[in-house]
Amino acid sequence: MTAMSTPRIVWHEALVATAALVIVTAHGAAAELDEVRARGTFVWAADQEGGGPHVFLDPERPGRLTGFEVELADMIAAELGVTARFQQGQWDRLPLLLGRSVDCVINGIELLPERKRDYACSRPYFAYGLQLLSRRDSPLTAFEQLAAPGPGGRWRVGVLTGSAAEVFLRSRHDLEVDVIGYDGTIDSLEQVQSGVLDATLIDDCIFNFYADRFAGLRAVGRTVAGGYYTVLTARDTPRLTAAIDEALGRLIADGRLKALYDRWDLAGRQQILALRDAAEIPVAGRRSLRQLAADTLPMLLTAAGMTLLLACVSFPLAIVAGLAVAVGRLYGPAWLARLLTASVEVVRGTPLMLQLYAIFFLLPKIGLALPALVAAVAGLALNYSAYESEIYRAGLKAVPAGQFQAALALGMTKWQALRHVVVPQAVRLVMPPVTNDFIAMFKDTSVCSVITVIELTKRYSVLALSTGRIVELAVITAILYLAMSWPLALLSRRFESRQERVA
Amino acid sequence: MIAVAGLSKARGGVTALADVDFEVRSGEVTAIVGPSGSGKSTLLRCVNGLETFDAGSISIAGHRLAPGLQPPRLLERVRRDAGMVFQQFNLFANLTAQENVALAPRVVAGVSAAEASRRAIQLLDRVGLAAFAAARPATLSGGQQQRVAIARALAMEPKVILFDEPTSALDPAMTAEVSEVIVDLARGGQTMVVVTHDHALARRVATQVVELVAGRVARIGPPAAVLGA
Repeated sequence: MTAMSTPRIVWHEALVATAALVIVTAHGAAAELDEVRARGTFVWAADQEGGGPHVFLDPERPGRLTGFEVELADMIAAELGVTARFQQGQWDRLPLLLGRSVDCVINGIELLPERKRDYACSRPYFAYGLQLLSRRDSPLTAFEQLAAPGPGGRWRVGVLTGSAAEVFLRSRHDLEVDVIGYDGTIDSLEQVQSGVLDATLIDDCIFNFYADRFAGLRAVGRTVAGGYYTVLTARDTPRLTAAIDEALGRLIADGRLKALYDRWDLAGRQQILALRDAAEIPVAGRRSLRQLAADTLPMLLTAAGMTLLLACVSFPLAIVAGLAVAVGRLYGPAWLARLLTASVEVVRGTPLMLQLYAIFFLLPKIGLALPALVAAVAGLALNYSAYESEIYRAGLKAVPAGQFQAALALGMTKWQALRHVVVPQAVRLVMPPVTNDFIAMFKDTSVCSVITVIELTKRYSVLALSTGRIVELAVITAILYLAMSWPLALLSRRFESRQERVA
Repeated sequence: MIAVAGLSKARGGVTALADVDFEVRSGEVTAIVGPSGSGKSTLLRCVNGLETFDAGSISIAGHRLAPGLQPPRLLERVRRDAGMVFQQFNLFANLTAQENVALAPRVVAGVSAAEASRRAIQLLDRVGLAAFAAARPATLSGGQQQRVAIARALAMEPKVILFDEPTSALDPAMTAEVSEVIVDLARGGQTMVVVTHDHALARRVATQVVELVAGRVARIGPPAAVLGA
C-alpha cells in the first residue's frame, strides 16, 4: 500500500505465495502416536470464536477456555497418556493445520463423505441436528416455506462457511434460498437478530447454548437433517487415529462420555443411543483433474468477477474521496482540515478487516443494515481513500506555488484555480503510486470474505477444502489473480515511463 | 488608476514597507526600482491582493483594499482588473500556450471556448508566438514563456498590468525580446506598473519612477530625475 513500491512486487508476491502454498500443503510429516507420546503433549485445534458449547472463552474465568470439547480433548489425551494442548485456528481451515504442529481437530467437525476422502476420521463422538432459526416476528415458521420465495424475495439464510449446514442447504436446489457463509456462528445469529438475514441454519446444540443470549430468535420446526461429529487426524497417522478411536470407545463404554454430555446439558443418554446406531458414512470419490477444472472453474471465474467488481467500484470512489480529503486538508478552513486529518489517522490506524466488520455487523445495530456488497465497497473505499488522500496531498504540495498564484492573479477563485490548474497537475504526478494502490486494493478485496462476500480467495479456500485439491486450485487461483493484475502492472509502468519523459 | 497611501507592512517584526505613497495615472507607466530586498515585489503583490498589508490603503481601478485579509470576492474583482506577469513566468504547466491564454477568459469571464481560443491566437500573434500555440510551456524558451505570460495577462483585458521583475530570469537576448513587447504595450497606452532592476527598460517605458529603499519611497519622479540622464 505504500506509494513507492513498483508493480514488479505483484509478480513477486504472487509467485512467493504460490510457492509457499505448494510447500505448505505438500504433506508435511504428521506426528504418529509414538511421537505424540514421546513429547508428552497432544495438540488439538479448534476455533474459540463464538464456539459455545464446543470451545469458548469461559465468561467466569477470563482468558481460560472451556466447552465440552475442551474436556473431551483432555479425556482423550489422558487415555493416550499425555496432556492436551490447544491450538487456535479459523474453523473452516482447521483441517489444513493437520500435519503442521497439530495432531488432530476436535471442533464440531461433521462426518461427511468429502472429509472421509481427505482426512482420517475417528468414530463419531456426538450427534447433531440442523436447526433453522428465525426472528420471533418473522413470517418464517416452517422449513417447508423455504421452497417458495418469501415476502422479500428469496430467503436469506446464514450458515457457518464449510459446515454441514452449508453443504446441506447448497445441495437443496429446490429451495428459494440465498445461502450466505459466515466465519463464525455468532455472526449469523447476530445478523438474524438484526434483521439482515431471514434465518440461519445451525447445529441444534449451538442454539440450545445461545438461546438466552439471542432471546429474539426461535426454532423453526424441528431439526431438518443431522449427522455426527468426528475427530480429524492426518491420513498418514493410522496408529494415532486408531488410538483415538479406542479412547472414544472406552469413554462411551464406561459412561464417561454420557456424564460429560449430561454436565453440559446435552442429553447424554440420547447422545449415547444415537452414537450406538450411527450408520457408516460413504467415502466421496476423487475427481480427475479435468473434472475438477470443469467443476470449479465456473465458480472461480464468478468469484474473480466479484474481485474485479469490488476493486473497480471501490477504487474510483476511494480516488474521488481521497482527492476531496486532500484538497480539504490543504485548502479548506482550519476546522475542516483538522477534522479530515483526524479522520485519516483513524482510518489509517485501524485494520481494514475491523472497518469492514464495523460497517457490516455494527451499523445494523443503529438501524443501518447494508447489503454485504455495499458494505464491502464502502469499507474498501473508506480505507483506501485515507491512503489516496495522503498521496494526493503530496502531489498537490509538489505543484509549485506559483501555479496557484498565477491562477489567482487572473481573477480565478480558489476552487477554479484548483480545478483547472493545480489538481490536473497533481493528478498527473500521482498516477504511478495511485495505480500501484489499485493493484494493492485488488488483493485486499480478499478481506471482504469476513463479511460474507465470496471473492476469489474465499472461493478458492472453500473449494480447496471441499474438494481436497488444495495445490491444483491454488495454481488456478494464482493464475486468475495474475491475469487480472498483470494489465494493471503494465498500465502502472506506462504511467511511470511517461512521467520520466515529462520530467 | 492606482492610489497607494500610507502603505505599511511588517513581516516577522521586520519592516517590509513603511508609509509608501504613490499614484499611477491611467495610460501611464510607473517603474519601481531599488536594491534587492527593498520591498518592490511585496509592494506589487499588495496592489493585487496576493499579500496583505498592515496599514494604509490601496485603491485600484475603483476598488479599495484595506489592511488585513480582504473578502475573496473583492480580490477576484481586483485581480480581473489588474493582470500580473511574474518573474518566473508561472505558465500553467498542464496546458498549451494557447490554453494558458484562453483559460481565464473562459472560466472567469465566461467567454465561450471557441471565442477564447480565437482571441488567444490573436494575442499570441501580438507577442510573436502564434506558431507556438500548441506548445507546452516546458518546450518554450524563457523569453517565449514570458511573452505567453504577457499574452495571458492581456487576455483578461486588464485596466492595469503589474510586472514583477519580468526580465530578471532571462538572458540578454531574451530580455530584449520581452522588453520590446512591454515597450509596445506602453506605446499602445496600456497602464502598467513594472518592478525591475533594468534601468534601461525603466527609462524606455516609464513616465514615473518610484525608488524604494528599505521599504520606503526614497525618490519619486520622472525617469531622468530618479535614474539620472
